[in-house]
Amino acid sequence: MNIIGPDALVFGVDDVAACAQYLVDFGLTAVDAGPDGGFFEALDGTGIEIRRRDDPSLPAALPTASMLRQQVYGVVGAADLDAIEAELKRDRRVVRLDSGAIETTDAQGFALKFQVTQRRPLNMPAERINAPGAAPGRAPNELGVQPGMPALPRTLSHQVLFVPDVAAATEFYTKRLGFVVTDVLGGAGPFLRPRANDDHHTLFFIGTPEYMKGCEHLAFHMGGPTELMVAGTRFVKKGYQSFWGPGRHKFGSNWFWYFNSPMGVHVEFDADMDKHDDSWIPRETPLTAEASQMVLFEWRPRWAPAGGPEGATEAEGAVD
Amino acid sequence: MTERAPLCRGTEIAEGEARGFAPWPGARKQVIVLRRGGRLFGWLDSCPHYQGGTPMAWKRDGYLNAARTRLICFSHGAEFDPETGECTLGPCLGKRLRAMPVIEDTDGMVRLTDGSGETPETRTRSEGS
Ligand code: FES
Ligand SMILES: [Fe+2]
Repeated sequence: MNIIGPDALVFGVDDVAACAQYLVDFGLTAVDAGPDGGFFEALDGTGIEIRRRDDPSLPAALPTASMLRQQVYGVVGAADLDAIEAELKRDRRVVRLDSGAIETTDAQGFALKFQVTQRRPLNMPAERINAPGAAPGRAPNELGVQPGMPALPRTLSHQVLFVPDVAAATEFYTKRLGFVVTDVLGGAGPFLRPRANDDHHTLFFIGTPEYMKGCEHLAFHMGGPTELMVAGTRFVKKGYQSFWGPGRHKFGSNWFWYFNSPMGVHVEFDADMDKHDDSWIPRETPLTAEASQMVLFEWRPRWAPAGGPEGATEAEGAVD
Repeated sequence: MTERAPLCRGTEIAEGEARGFAPWPGARKQVIVLRRGGRLFGWLDSCPHYQGGTPMAWKRDGYLNAARTRLICFSHGAEFDPETGECTLGPCLGKRLRAMPVIEDTDGMVRLTDGSGETPETRTRSEGS
C-alpha cells in the first residue's frame, strides 16, 4: 500500500469567510473559493478544503468541538486503492466513488478518503547556507535574505489527532495500512510515516478522553528555517495569534511555529524534518518539555540598538 | 473613579463584540472584554485545556463564533458561555475561564475592578510568579 501522505484535510466550519482569509494570509492559494467554501492549496497542490459546517456533502461531524470532517490520503496508483479497499472492506464499509477514490472511516471514527495523489512534483531548492569548512551553499553575490522574499508553504506535511484509544489507532494505521512507527512520545503517542514517504512523520497521535477527540494541528513544510521565520513573522504582523514557537523539535528535528486558527486547530509552519528508512529503530521517551523541543523562541517586534536609550523599534505597519 | 490604567473606552466595545487588551504593557496574558445585553464581562484570555493556560483568539480580537453567541478557544474549538465562562463543548468540558471583572467607570473608561488586576497569570515573567 503505497500511501504518500495527506493530500488534503477537509473542515466543516462555523465561519467560512474567516477561514478563507486566514488560509490565504497563511500563504495558500484559493481555488474555486466562494461563500460556501473552497480549496486552499500549497505549491504542490496539497491543501485544506473549507466547507460550511452544515454542508450535506460532508462526512458526519465528530461528536466533539472538532471541525475536521475528512482526511484525504494520496496514494501512488490505482492498484494501491484496490489493495486498501480489499483490506478495509473486511470489517467496515468502503465506498468507491466515480472518481475511483474510496471513502471509509478509521478505527476511531475519523472519516478517510484515499485517492491517486494530486500532488504536483516540486522542483525548488532548499534553503542554502554557508558554513566554514563546507562547500558554499550559495554562489558569490547570491543573498540569503531579501525584502519581499517568497516564503510559501510547499506541501501539506502532517496532521496530529487527539484519539481516545492510541493502541487501536496505531494498530489500524500500521497493521491495516502499512504505516511505520518512527518514534514514540510516552504519555502521548507514536509518530507514523506511510510506506511511500520517508518523512519522519505524516501522522502523530495524542491520547485524550473521548470528548476531546479531534485534531491538534496540521502542518505545512517550508523551504527552510528562514522561510519559516519570515512567513511566521509576516503572519504575526497580520494580527494572527502565535501559539508556540518558533522552535525546533527533537523527534523529527523539524523547525516549528504554531498558530491558532478559525478551523479550531493549530496550523504549523514546519521545516527541515528528518527522513528515515526501514533500518531506523524507533526511540521512545516520555513526553516532557525537554523531550519535545531542542530550542524554543518567542516572537517580539523588531528592534535595533540605535536611536537613543530605548533603541529603535519597528515602525507601525512595517512589512518585508 | 480609580487610579488604575483603563483597558479601553466603553464605547470601543460594541454590543455583541469582544476585544482583547493587555492589562498593562508587557503583560503575559490579555483580558477579554465583551458586551452582552449592555453588560460588560471580562475573562482572562487563557484557555484551561492545556496546563498553564494558552491564548484563545485566532487573530487580534478574534474570540467569538460567527453568530457572536459563544467565546471560542481557537486552538481546538472549545466553546465557552460568554456570561459564565463555563466550557460547554470541547476539550475543557467541566472547566471555566478565569473571571476578570470589569466596570465601565464614571469617566466612561473600562477598568478591572479588583486590586490592580494583577494575577499570577498576567504578571510578566521578569517580575517572577
Ligand atoms: S487549548 Fe483551548 S481548546 Fe485546546
Ligand atoms: Fe507538527
